[in-house]
Amino acid sequence: MDTLTRLTRRVEREQKARKEAEALLEKKSFELYQSNQELKSLAAELADKEERNRLLLESSSDGIYAIDREGLCSICNPAAAHMLGYESPEQVIGKNAHMLFHHSHQDGSKYPEEECVLQTGLEKEIKLNVLFWRVDGSPIDTECRAAPIKQNGEVVGSVVSFTDISERLETEMQLRQAQKLESIGQLAAGIAHEINTPTQFVNDNIHFLQEAFEDYHKLMSLYDQFLQASEETVQEDKKKEVNLLVEEIDLEYLQEEIPQAISQSIDGLKRIAKIVRAMKEFSHPGEHEKVLIDINNAIETTIDVSRNEWKYHAELETNFDSDLPQVPCLPGEFNQVILNLIVNASHAIADVVTNSGNMGKILISTQQDGDWVEITVSDTGGGVPEEIQGRIFDPFFTTKEVGKGTGQGLAITYSVVVDKHGGTIVLDSQQGVGTVFTVRLPIKVEQLEVQDNE
Amino acid sequence: MNKRILFVDDEKNVLNGLKRSLRSQQKDWDMSFVLGGQSALEMSYNMDFDAVVTDLRMPGIDGLHVVKELKKHHPEIICIILSGHSDEEMIMQSTGVAHQFLAKPCTTRDLINMLTRIFSLKDFLGNKKLQSLVAGMKTIPSMPETYNKILRQLASPNNSLKEIGDTIKQDPAMTAKILQIVNSAFLGLGRHISDTGEAVSLLGLGIVKSLVLSIGIFSQFDEKKVMDKAFSLEKVWQHSLKVADLARRIAVAENAEKEVVDNSFLAGMLHDIGIIILEEHFSEEYGRVRELAQTKGIPMYQAEYEMFGATHAAVGAYLLGLWALDDPLPSTNTRRFVGAAWMVFRH
Repeated sequence: MDTLTRLTRRVEREQKARKEAEALLEKKSFELYQSNQELKSLAAELADKEERNRLLLESSSDGIYAIDREGLCSICNPAAAHMLGYESPEQVIGKNAHMLFHHSHQDGSKYPEEECVLQTGLEKEIKLNVLFWRVDGSPIDTECRAAPIKQNGEVVGSVVSFTDISERLETEMQLRQAQKLESIGQLAAGIAHEINTPTQFVNDNIHFLQEAFEDYHKLMSLYDQFLQASEETVQEDKKKEVNLLVEEIDLEYLQEEIPQAISQSIDGLKRIAKIVRAMKEFSHPGEHEKVLIDINNAIETTIDVSRNEWKYHAELETNFDSDLPQVPCLPGEFNQVILNLIVNASHAIADVVTNSGNMGKILISTQQDGDWVEITVSDTGGGVPEEIQGRIFDPFFTTKEVGKGTGQGLAITYSVVVDKHGGTIVLDSQQGVGTVFTVRLPIKVEQLEVQDNE
Repeated sequence: MNKRILFVDDEKNVLNGLKRSLRSQQKDWDMSFVLGGQSALEMSYNMDFDAVVTDLRMPGIDGLHVVKELKKHHPEIICIILSGHSDEEMIMQSTGVAHQFLAKPCTTRDLINMLTRIFSLKDFLGNKKLQSLVAGMKTIPSMPETYNKILRQLASPNNSLKEIGDTIKQDPAMTAKILQIVNSAFLGLGRHISDTGEAVSLLGLGIVKSLVLSIGIFSQFDEKKVMDKAFSLEKVWQHSLKVADLARRIAVAENAEKEVVDNSFLAGMLHDIGIIILEEHFSEEYGRVRELAQTKGIPMYQAEYEMFGATHAAVGAYLLGLWALDDPLPSTNTRRFVGAAWMVFRH
């Protein structure tokens, strides 16, 4: 083999190898191109997805944020930032969410992070009403949902979404206020009567006492003359004059009536004072916090202010447990509940006894049952028909004719008992026999801090 | 003879108070005080009463029931409601049933004055038949045109209180009725209203509407029932209006106070209301009164007296007294102005 042949072969080999390499290169390039293309579309898809997620977060009118296990905010959407008074989510992200906008209780006292109810969101899904604080220090009532974020089966944080319910609470408050005003308006006429009646007889008695005093005065002056005259000169005609006057002014009648007129007047004034005091106690203006109240006493007050509503067609009896513990209540709202129940009972009875001259009966009793206080209001009215029993707590549901009530009474009663006090209210009614409403309120305040419906 | 008065209330203390405070009236009045509507009715079966003063809301038989029942047996009875309630609906119901509505608390003086005034007007009228007639009157007939006009105005969606007040002002019958209602104590005014426009605006459109449309406080004159061919309601009302207008103008010219001006107008407006009552119910007799006056050449009032033992003025006065429309403090000036106006237009 000569050199040429070797070289030629080598060239051929190299040429082949090169071709192969080129072919490989081409193949690889193509593959590369292909995977690049795939990568590109994947990236685009990814970007698109992220954009969509971002849009989703940014467009949502619910506030959404997420925290990691340390409580640091990892995600925050503009709605959340905006509702909390921040200009952009960046001002929130990376910071401790609790410390930033959940730092205090309603009364302004410090809310330690380790007690934060939203912590529960790291373990399970929860829904509750929470008070947040805006950056300017103003509070915002929200309805919150929190749920754990899991990665490979491990909880890495929690996502919280919330809506501003201040407006809804405001509307609810206005509705309650309207119903309160309605029932106070209704009561006003009755209370006026409860005051006018004793005023009438106190006036009359005083008029009588005035006249009686004038008569006494006449008699006293005559006695005076009698005494001034010396023993010897006591004339028979003076004596006669006194006797005549005693008869004329009917002294016997006066002596009998005057003490009664005075004591009945005192009773009348007591009655007026009592109803005025009850009226003041009933309304509790400006009391928006739960305080410990004497349930029996509060019910008595409400009975006093509503007397004119029931006294013409019903007798009202009470059976109070005198050992009842004090119960944390919103006093004005609790009275409203009792008033609604009494007025309802009274209307139910009035419908049955109309013009018959018969009297129905309302019985109100209280008792303790473990951690609960139970109040029952029963009447001997016509009962609630079975087909509407399920609806009587619905707002605007009423069987009364138009103008005779807004249909808000029992709805608000329900909302006050259940939502505001964490209690229960049940109806037990039998047509033709009567109706019993049973209200149960928790004695311990802790039970009503959080409503947790899983 | 002493007047017999029945007092009814569901509260013993109120009855005791009334009894004591009315002690000085014992020489003129025989008073019974009963607890509750049932006892009131039982007592009324055995005794006649000139007047009843009753509470409105009572358990069982209420005041309205008592009044209605008493009126059935004693049409001439004077019915006064004395109530601490100012429930609009209940007062509307008592309009037309009771003559007057007194609000608790009411002073002894007011109660005595009111009853004394009504009793003296009743005695002045004398004739028992007329006493019953006047006590039983719920409405005074209006001119049919005016009556229809007010119905139209009330039904119209764009009615105004002022227009309605103006219509009522032109009609003596409506004027009397609306003032009776507004002066009933339920509005708690504590002052006497003599101006119709003021009365209507105090009551408000809603109440006026239901008073007229559902309670029927106004009525129209039924010409067919009139036997006295010489009678024309329109003429009497026209005359009343003229006297009223002139009396008012005289009062204004004399720089009288607003109250006197209003009262002068009102008195002029209502001074012949007795004629309407007599014509509506005793048309035939009233026709004979005219004949009597002509044949004998005597004034109408004298002829009226011969026929009824009373004049139309006494009839009108008793009605206005029962309806609380008589001036509680009669002003000599009012009488002077109306008298002068009347002299100008006398029949």
